[in-house]
Amino acid sequence: MKKIGYFILSGTILINLLLVSSLLIINSYGAAEEIDAEFGEAPMINGVIDDTANEWKNAFKTQINLTDLPVDLWVMQYNLELFISVQIDLEVLAHNSTEFIGLLISNSSSENQEDFIDAKIVQFSNIHNDEFVYLDYFINNSLFQSDTEYHGEGAGKLDGKVSVYEFSIPIKQPLTEGYEEDATLEYDKSYAFNITYGDTPSYPDGITKSEIVLINIFEPIEEEQLLIDVILIVLIIIDFSIVGILSGYYIYKIFKLKEKMERLRS
Amino acid sequence: MSKIPKVQIKDQKSKTRRRSEDKFAYRTVVISTVLSLIFFVVSLLFNTGIISIFADINLIFDIIDIILKVIAILLFFLFTMISIGNYKEMTGKPLSWKEFLLLFILSLGQALLNNLVFIFTFIGLLLILVYLYLVQEK
Repeated sequence: MKKIGYFILSGTILINLLLVSSLLIINSYGAAEEIDAEFGEAPMINGVIDDTANEWKNAFKTQINLTDLPVDLWVMQYNLELFISVQIDLEVLAHNSTEFIGLLISNSSSENQEDFIDAKIVQFSNIHNDEFVYLDYFINNSLFQSDTEYHGEGAGKLDGKVSVYEFSIPIKQPLTEGYEEDATLEYDKSYAFNITYGDTPSYPDGITKSEIVLINIFEPIEEEQLLIDVILIVLIIIDFSIVGILSGYYIYKIFKLKEKMERLRS
Repeated sequence: MSKIPKVQIKDQKSKTRRRSEDKFAYRTVVISTVLSLIFFVVSLLFNTGIISIFADINLIFDIIDIILKVIAILLFFLFTMISIGNYKEMTGKPLSWKEFLLLFILSLGQALLNNLVFIFTFIGLLLILVYLYLVQEK
């Protein structure tokens, strides 16, 4: 009887330990997830993911937790634009009428709060009627100041239970007037993006949930150029091979000529 | 008075001269072939990018890189031309325009990976052709 008691006790402790450790893993704060922006065709920024047009087909797709809110995050690159889509799957009534998704962009891979200088926000004024605005802010000492010129695009739409947010952010913006209020994204660099969620149109106070991810932006390689390069490499290999083979044959002929000459002499 | 007729002595002398000429021509064929093979290997190493010690450092090194590649191809072409020309002379057949064209294309083909090398090689090959045309016996 005593044995059974010990067995149950030790079993309970073990199960508890396993549960606690798994919870710790879920809620632990590790390094930000690193995402490689995949290349694909540019989608329409309208809050609708058109599967028939293969929109977002090639995007890097992952699931992240904005604090405790799981969301789907898709990242894609096309020409001079970075595309990001955030999708929140909640019960219809659980969607707040004035919810928003904001992308706070760091000017580097630094995750320090003061390095997040740019914010692109899709703010619903009435999610059930698909009424939203796209906002572009410059963050100065945690103060959100509206940009004099908006850059990029953003849209949102509630599709059944899922609220879909789509953003397009310019890459390699010129450093001219109007652009200094934005984070300048460059090729072959990583940038920290703070994906934020809130339900009141007030920034940053309205932000209730967030998660930082690192997005790697790459220089696009032209497919046509790649094909031409491959053809040229194949041609040069063929060329050198032919010269090599012919040289071998020619050396053989030279040796034969020597033999012939010696025969003629004798 | 010599017992060997004069005509026979003359024949022997011409035979010896011919042999010495053949020997010289053969040596030229061998030497120019060896040189053309050396430049072929240099061209193979640099033009395919197996060795790229001068590339992407600065403008001067880029120029050195281009010059090295172009010269390797041009010297390969020149020595191969000399070698084949002498070989053909020894066998008694002339160098046909088809062989000439094939060598021209194969030499130019070595410069396919770099536009500047290709252009300079093309110009260089044309200059060599003009030179060879001008120096040939009419």
